[in-house]
Amino acid sequence: MRILLDKFSKSFGSTKVIEDMDLEVGSGEMLALLGPSGCGKSTTLFAVCGIHRPTSGRIMFGDRDVTHLPSQERNVGVVFQSYALYPHMTVEENIGFPLMVKRVASADIRKQVADIAALVHIEDLLGRRPAQLSGGQQQRVALARALIRRPDVLLLDEPLANLDAKLRLEMRSEIRRLQKETGITAILVTHDQVEAMSMCDRIAIMKSGEIIQIATPSQMYNDPRTSFVASFLGNPPISFLKGQAHQGAFVLGGSGLRLPLATLAGIPDGTALSLGVRPEHFGTAGGVPVEGKVVFAETQGRENLYDVVLPDGSVLRSIQPVRDDVKPGDSVRWNLDSASTFVFAEDGQRL
Amino acid sequence: MIAPAAVMIFLFFLMPVVLTAIFAMTNMTTATGISGGAWQVTQGAINRLKADMPDLAGGIAEPRFVIDEEGLAALEALKLKAGFSTELRASHMGEVFPSRREAERMIKALKDRPSTREVKQISDLFNRSVLNTRFETRDGLMASLKKLGFTLTPAEQETVATATYTGWVWTTENFRIIGNSPDMAQIFLNTAFYVSVTLLLFNVSYALFLAITTHYMPASTASIFRAIWLLPRITPVVIYVLMWKWLTWDSGFISMFMGQFGYPAKNYLLDSAYNAWFFVILINGFIGASMGMLVFSSAIKAIPQTQFHASEVDGASRWQQVRHVILPQLRWPILFVTCYQTLSLLASFNEILLSTRGGPGRATEVWSLAAYHTALNNYTGNLEYGLGAAMALVLVVVGIVLSLIYLRIFRYDTLISKPLIED
Ligand SMILES: Nc1ncnc2c1ncn2[C@@H]1O[C@H](COP(=O)(O)OP(=O)(O)OP(=O)(O)O)[C@@H](O)[C@H]1O
Ligand SMILES: [Mg+2]
Repeated sequence: MRILLDKFSKSFGSTKVIEDMDLEVGSGEMLALLGPSGCGKSTTLFAVCGIHRPTSGRIMFGDRDVTHLPSQERNVGVVFQSYALYPHMTVEENIGFPLMVKRVASADIRKQVADIAALVHIEDLLGRRPAQLSGGQQQRVALARALIRRPDVLLLDEPLANLDAKLRLEMRSEIRRLQKETGITAILVTHDQVEAMSMCDRIAIMKSGEIIQIATPSQMYNDPRTSFVASFLGNPPISFLKGQAHQGAFVLGGSGLRLPLATLAGIPDGTALSLGVRPEHFGTAGGVPVEGKVVFAETQGRENLYDVVLPDGSVLRSIQPVRDDVKPGDSVRWNLDSASTFVFAEDGQRL
Repeated sequence: MIAPAAVMIFLFFLMPVVLTAIFAMTNMTTATGISGGAWQVTQGAINRLKADMPDLAGGIAEPRFVIDEEGLAALEALKLKAGFSTELRASHMGEVFPSRREAERMIKALKDRPSTREVKQISDLFNRSVLNTRFETRDGLMASLKKLGFTLTPAEQETVATATYTGWVWTTENFRIIGNSPDMAQIFLNTAFYVSVTLLLFNVSYALFLAITTHYMPASTASIFRAIWLLPRITPVVIYVLMWKWLTWDSGFISMFMGQFGYPAKNYLLDSAYNAWFFVILINGFIGASMGMLVFSSAIKAIPQTQFHASEVDGASRWQQVRHVILPQLRWPILFVTCYQTLSLLASFNEILLSTRGGPGRATEVWSLAAYHTALNNYTGNLEYGLGAAMALVLVVVGIVLSLIYLRIFRYDTLISKPLIED
């Protein structure tokens, strides 16, 4: 079912958290809401499931305007950031709760709970209470409870935050599989970019209550609209060089570095610019040589990570296949792939 | 650090109960006093003796006349004719007369012929009746009886001593009285009715109702409501009850209001047992409900907001939310309030004392009020400390038993959740 937020605004008292947000999630699509803490992700999610009423704007599920519909009538499954399990109920009662309040026969509830529990691998825990579960187990109970009544819309507020690395990988693909199989429209809130990129069809990047860009993960990675977006995606993160425009080229003051770039045609000389260079575009390949000194080296197993300080003091990050001929303190002359860099204006907008 | 706490606990918590228990095992009253007593053949003592020793009882009750040295000395001091004492000493010394008539006949027959007035005067001097004479020791009483010609076996002596002792003694009689008296049974029923109705309707149900409804109100409205509902608790009881009295007096609000419809003015508080109970329960209920409301409100506040959000999203209606999310998590506060309020309803009687004084008649007399009336304040003026203490002790026991039952019903053990780590 398609979800549409139309000029959605939300304020708490005098604090405006979201202003005029437009967002469309296609039917059967899984969208990530990605952004730093406090940017309004949960607030948006709460408006979609009906816990918060929008201050203004409309929320549509398919062709149905649900703006003024109470949560109970929206058929939305939610996994809350804090799980919100009922502490006095067993796992089985927690998962069966949405069916119980619909007065489904208890034998049916039992069967459906068993099915869904098997799906999220908690069939052994049904008799326990939430206080007797680990964080990851609680999260899976919350997921099972959100899924059990086959909601039209699934909302996940950082559902994997408490899992260990292995379980997190497993649950990522598990959730994605469930979502694809059931064709549920889903919104995943996260501030983990890897999670967003690996699980979702599209990503919406938010910053202080605004959506900066919506795109597929690869589009977003390769074509960020602002420096904020560029800095948010990618691990290790992108590095920025502060410089100026000069006759269609980016010039880094003090180091003599000069990059002719097609995007800079027509930009007045002296305009302050910022150049984003991803670590994989600085190293052995590429056409522009850059000199600097290695100040930090770290191996990540398959790859090595280096921080290189340029003569003007700015830092470029580089990721390369493992090599052991470079140590901190060494002077290097590596290549920069100028075609893959991003140029941003002073306000962060991509040029 | 443990010593001062132990002393405090002993002095202020344990001692009162221990003292009550001690008093409960005595027959102390205003009449016996709380220190030792004396031996005195009162009319009451004679009545007590009548059952076992009717002859003796009859004998002691009668005046007795003995011609003894003591009486002769008194006679000589009166300076009547010297012949009276001389003749009495010579021929009648040691004689005992079982009644005044016989003694006076003998005196009248004396050679010096006393006048009727003198006969009376003389006979009084030899009156050795023990009736109402106070003996500081048991032996004093026995010696005196012996002199009067009652020879008693040790067993009989014991019976007489017990019957005539005016001080308090150890006894379990109080509990027999409590167990057998129909008055006590009525008071017990009154108490059970008063406590259970006030507790169920007001202290728990009404308080829950208030707490839950204010929970669903906007915060500012809710706090206004809470403040209003707290008024009965923070108003001094005397003034609060006075307002109810004003409401129910012959010339009070209800009478005035009903007067508009032609009903005669009356005291609505005390005109019937039904009305008296109605107001007693309302007065106590409103005070009690405010405490429950506070406890329940804060317990509901402690439930994380997301649980309400989750249950709404899960499709639960308001009622289902109350039933399945709020109430189960209020088990401990409900237990606490039930327990606490049962005990305070059982023990406190000031609202009833100030409003109906247990009336009309003894219709609203509850156990603690009855104990107060028995031991500390009643119209007859004979305060029965022992019986009152026994009643108080019964109250303590009932309170403890009820608390244990509550803990059972609310399955206290499951309230303490099991640890996360298992082995
Ligand atoms: N009930 C509320 N009253 C007032 N301000 C609120 C309320 N709920 C959220 N906010 C504010 O709105 C902003 C967005 O909050 P939100 O919970 O949506 O953040 P988030 O993006 O989910 O952050 P996180 O990643 O830390 O969960 C925050 O600045 C927060 O302080
Ligand atoms: Mg959040």
